[in-house]
Amino acid sequence: MLPPMEISLDTLKRLTRLGGFDWTDAELEAIRPTLERALDLLARLEALPLAEVEPAMQYRVL
Amino acid sequence: MSELHWRSMAELGRMVATKEVSPVEVVRAHLDRVAALDAKLKSFITVCGDQALEAARAAEAELVVGRSAGPLHGVPYGPKDLYNTKGVRTTGGSKILADFVPAEDATVVSRLRAAGLIMLGKLNMHEFAYGPEGLNAHYGDARNPWDATAHRVAGGSSSGSGVAVAAGLCPGALGSDTGGSIRIPASLCGISGIKPTYGRVSRAGVLPLAWSMDHAGPMARTVRDLALMLGAMAGYDAADPTTSVLPVPDYAAALTGGVKGLRVGLLRAHFNDVAAPEVRAAVDAAAKQLEQAGAVVDEVNLAEVVHVAAASFAIVATEALAYHAEWMRTRSADYQPDVRDRLKMGALVSGVQYVRAQQVRQLVRREVDAALARRDVLLAPATPIPAPVLGEKATQLGDGTSDVRSALIRFTRPFNLSGHPACSVPCGFTAAGLPIGMQLVGRPFDEATVLRAGDAYQRLTDWHARRPVLA
Repeated sequence: MLPPMEISLDTLKRLTRLGGFDWTDAELEAIRPTLERALDLLARLEALPLAEVEPAMQYRVL
Repeated sequence: MSELHWRSMAELGRMVATKEVSPVEVVRAHLDRVAALDAKLKSFITVCGDQALEAARAAEAELVVGRSAGPLHGVPYGPKDLYNTKGVRTTGGSKILADFVPAEDATVVSRLRAAGLIMLGKLNMHEFAYGPEGLNAHYGDARNPWDATAHRVAGGSSSGSGVAVAAGLCPGALGSDTGGSIRIPASLCGISGIKPTYGRVSRAGVLPLAWSMDHAGPMARTVRDLALMLGAMAGYDAADPTTSVLPVPDYAAALTGGVKGLRVGLLRAHFNDVAAPEVRAAVDAAAKQLEQAGAVVDEVNLAEVVHVAAASFAIVATEALAYHAEWMRTRSADYQPDVRDRLKMGALVSGVQYVRAQQVRQLVRREVDAALARRDVLLAPATPIPAPVLGEKATQLGDGTSDVRSALIRFTRPFNLSGHPACSVPCGFTAAGLPIGMQLVGRPFDEATVLRAGDAYQRLTDWHARRPVLA
């Protein structure tokens, strides 16, 4: 199981800059509470028995 | 109800075909209605009055020489303003695309034109379709027509489509649905709307929110009108590699009016059991009415839906930011704040989390398929609550307090994730006079059964025939 993602302001800045986004501290702080909740939900997916589950492809070749 | 603006698309098509009314009269009646009411309702971003009247005159000329494009010849409609329309600006409800004028029509717009429909204008929406409330800081917040005093949200993201159809400004509309954006405004505005199976309707020329979750579909006041519109829109399109080559059935012919023997699974846990009491009672009553009409109703639970919020977030946030990346690097100040914040979060989802979400998607799809292996349709509320007041932040559900945004999309987005067809149909009103919607979910590419069940329900009830009182 992956550890919960570290989301200090510094981490947010590094990750977003890696993607080429130069957002201000205030802009990043604004999303932190919602992001923390979302990442917590995502962390729970790591506990699911998904090893044998192939990711879905929405293309139904019909 | 004799006013043209309250006639269904099927009725208008029949009246035009029999020359009881001309397409010009029909279009004029709706344009007059837009002029009278839309300053308050804000359902249109662009009104195409001159082009619509010109198209109506051309439709009339065709009829004079004995040519008809089909049952919707000369009938007006409005596409959500994320469908490309040749020569008419397509804003996506944004400042960024305020002056974007496409060189080509979206496939669906082109098909509806070929079927004789006339575009009245482009309809309001949550900016870039990224929000279930239907809010728009650039063109104004569409107003739910069912409350004359309080400003209630229309639901989104296809808010203008919901309001325009509910208020009689156009008889049918196009919406798009990534997490519920057709079914939520249909539910909150008291109209019908169907999200077809993923791959049933082309998305070519439709501004994307999240490619693997986006669905294009019709909205109207009756399920029969949905069937007519969907029949004209659906089918393989070489311009959209996700579309299916399966033939398109005659959806209108499938509306037999009967549900005898139809196997209906009422979704309980995580759905009807957690809805607001009035919503729950309305959906329970609808299940009973279907049963009394001959359907076989049982109860069913979908356990995997508890993971839908996380999986949907990872997929939509990532795909949406991938589309918006360049603008988010250079013009982030031009987005409305809530959309900008949602887009930012896409930068913080890892590749592993995205794939994990796609694995969960497989689980959800399998579970919905399994539930439908022994049933023809599943039944649930479309939204757990009726239209909230603008600015309302939190709401009480059966399993606790929820923010309004999460509540609005909770029952719809499982079927964006799974790709199954789902149709929202009015099934009651609250004591305060607000519409309640239920959704019928079917097997992949079995829109015909979903529509048959919805139409049969509308023959048993008159919820869809109620009209808001507008000044």
